[in-house]
Amino acid sequence: MEYQHDVEINGEGKYLNICKHNGLCKKEKDSKDDTDSNKLSHIEKAYTTILGELGEDVDREGLLRTPLRAAKAMQFFTKGYKETTQDILNDAIFDENHDEMVIVKDIDLFSLCEHHLVPFFGKAHIAYLPNKKVVGLSKLARIVEIYSRRLQVQERLTKQIASAISEALEPAGVAVVIEAAHMCMVMRGVQKINASTVTSVMLGTFQDNPTTRKEFLELTLRK
Amino acid sequence: MEHSKQTQFSSSDKKDAGASSVVNGHCDGMLKRAAGGSSQPPAAESGSQRPVMESWREDRTRSVEDNEMSLPSLAAAYTTILRGLGEDPQRQGLLKTPWRAATAMQFFTKGYQEKIIADVLNDAIFDEDHDEMVIVKDIDMFSMCEHHLVPIFGRVHIGYLPNKRVLGLSKLARIVEIYSRRLQVQERLTKQIAVAITEALQPTGVGVVIEATHMCMVMRGVQKMNSKTVTSTMLGVFREDPKTRDEFLTLIRS
Repeated sequence: MEYQHDVEINGEGKYLNICKHNGLCKKEKDSKDDTDSNKLSHIEKAYTTILGELGEDVDREGLLRTPLRAAKAMQFFTKGYKETTQDILNDAIFDENHDEMVIVKDIDLFSLCEHHLVPFFGKAHIAYLPNKKVVGLSKLARIVEIYSRRLQVQERLTKQIASAISEALEPAGVAVVIEAAHMCMVMRGVQKINASTVTSVMLGTFQDNPTTRKEFLELTLRK
Repeated sequence: MEHSKQTQFSSSDKKDAGASSVVNGHCDGMLKRAAGGSSQPPAAESGSQRPVMESWREDRTRSVEDNEMSLPSLAAAYTTILRGLGEDPQRQGLLKTPWRAATAMQFFTKGYQEKIIADVLNDAIFDEDHDEMVIVKDIDMFSMCEHHLVPIFGRVHIGYLPNKRVLGLSKLARIVEIYSRRLQVQERLTKQIAVAITEALQPTGVGVVIEATHMCMVMRGVQKMNSKTVTSTMLGVFREDPKTRDEFLTLIRS
């Protein structure tokens, strides 16, 4: 399949290669447009089957257009596959003589657990030490959006965000911390309502220098 | 046997496109047949016209056997969805996802399997000479939006004025579970909980308040992170007497 070589490495491989995977190739994007409505109707039919198998009546008023709505919602939740970091970053990298820490914290994040297809959501905190190149601040949040709007595993998501920033800016260091609540743990399974999962990736100076890391964690996680 | 009879009904119900309506746990066709095979149920075409007041009496529409039989087609549907989204269902992380997602979805709609009276309430109604308000608040609730199939979660607060009969406290939470673990609309959920308690206990009054966050509004669409939806149903003296209602609302806020 056309996406196989991209996606099969999702989760393995070196840091820097990871941001290229877990997504569609750019050249395939154009040929996808004409089959998008085809795909939508396949997903819609699948949802109709699901509703029937769950014991519901697909013809009752509240459920009449649910397959279409659910299919569109699911496409929205996975729109990150069609976006690449290059698309959003290209024009927002600026030369700036600044080498102190830049932190953008409390970025709301919504993703889908790839194991149960159930949402997980929380906050992402990102910091980087520029090396003469700074990025538009909202672009950090957009990078979070690209990688979170996919079927994800929180560990991989954190790594992908960190490596995308690393590749684009070549900074002296990048740090990403994500704390999230997983509905697959809250709504089903162990059903622990207050549990939250925290993952972090430290690259460059953040990894080598404990003082830098400490400064980041203090500025970010202190309530 | 009871079980296999129910399985037969539910699977034949699915094949009869217009013969029965399964509305959020109600199954007209099954009840009619169990009663001795009368003509088509009156609300077969549009189940939403069925009055909510009778909703709690309905027999379950799904059994554990139904769940097992549906699993393969549910898993196949989820595999189609994964492909349609552009993912590779053969990659390691997604290999068993269709099965996990199918089982998860069955869990999120397990309210269709449970019978209010037999399973939940029968043995926990007690005669007690108590006629002051009883409140169980901050009951965590998880449901699924029937329009987008995306989670809704929040808290339910229930209050009732007993009329010589009280209910085991955890049973209030179990009633919430039965109705929330379905494809729901928050307004209907609130009313179903209130009506179930009313018909089981015949209390002097019942009040139910639900505050919930709808992921369909937070994760997509308008994307308003902090919005909450609050619905309430007041029956009996809670509706007629403003002081009772005030007392209830004050106590659930504190």
